[in-house]
Amino acid sequence: MATAASAPAVPSTTPIVTPIRVPVWAWLLLACAVFTLYFLSQENGALLSAPAAQMLHELTHDARHALGVPCH
Amino acid sequence: MSFGSVLRRGVLAGVSAGLAAAAVIWLVVEPVIRRALAVEDARSLHGGQSAPLVLHAHGDGEPLVSRAAQVVGGAVTSVLVGIAVGVIFAVVFARLHERLPGRGDFGRSMVLAAVAFSAVSLLPAVKIPSNPPAVGDPATVGRRTLLYAVVLLLGVAIALVVPMLDRWIAGRGTAAPTRWALDTVAVVVLVALVLLLVPGSPDTVPADVPAALLWDFRLASLAQLAVMWLTLGLVFGLLMERAAAPRRSGDVEQAGPFAAVSA
Repeated sequence: MATAASAPAVPSTTPIVTPIRVPVWAWLLLACAVFTLYFLSQENGALLSAPAAQMLHELTHDARHALGVPCH
Repeated sequence: MSFGSVLRRGVLAGVSAGLAAAAVIWLVVEPVIRRALAVEDARSLHGGQSAPLVLHAHGDGEPLVSRAAQVVGGAVTSVLVGIAVGVIFAVVFARLHERLPGRGDFGRSMVLAAVAFSAVSLLPAVKIPSNPPAVGDPATVGRRTLLYAVVLLLGVAIALVVPMLDRWIAGRGTAAPTRWALDTVAVVVLVALVLLLVPGSPDTVPADVPAALLWDFRLASLAQLAVMWLTLGLVFGLLMERAAAPRRSGDVEQAGPFAAVSA
């Protein structure tokens, strides 16, 4: 996996790569995206009411299995 | 390049990745799910619906959501997952931009996608393999979910620690091939430790589920995840390269110098 991080891809004269400035709101957005992933893949009643969670579970059912997350 | 334009590319790449994954679900995963549902039906378990989790008061053999709706729901979920992953990918890419290895932004995007697939998809899938319907004891789902999350986080930790180790070795002036060899050994040792020390799934596979069905499903699930990450890396990388292209008029062919211009 992380061996890729050491792949001999850097040319002999390493070009200067300018950093991209990441604003603070980007991290909030990242948190929202992680929450969305949780919601779609794992929410089973921790946040929603039982019938709503059951509905969500059934609708996302096939993708949950396909994504490999423990489903039931 | 501003963060906003990186983010837009991430979302677009995420939509593409989600659509590609949805196509793989439809063509590869769904046929296996149908075989698994046939096993469930043979047990005469509430008409092919997934096992009850929270509540099953609806009963009466009337499924809460039809199979057709589940198939469409699966595709929609896949696209939404793709978008969320694309957003995370864009933020991480922007944050690590100058530190990612790879030739140009395309190379960097592919490296990040490959590392992400290995850390958050492949490693958890090897330790806690995916299961089709008809497999999985609802009583242990909490424990399996916890183990899955632990392995995923350990995968991310390995992906963060090994580059740190790499930089530390580089700082000591060690020859590059030695450094790469040590990095590789570090990854192998850390992955082996995770696989050996984290407990596996407590479930046993029911006897009426054929081994071939289980294998086909796990392979199909991995194919879907691999296609999602591959599409994300490819599309994001191409979009980033395209952004750099107009500035690529000079005599230099590496991406670095233009990235400097486009800041």
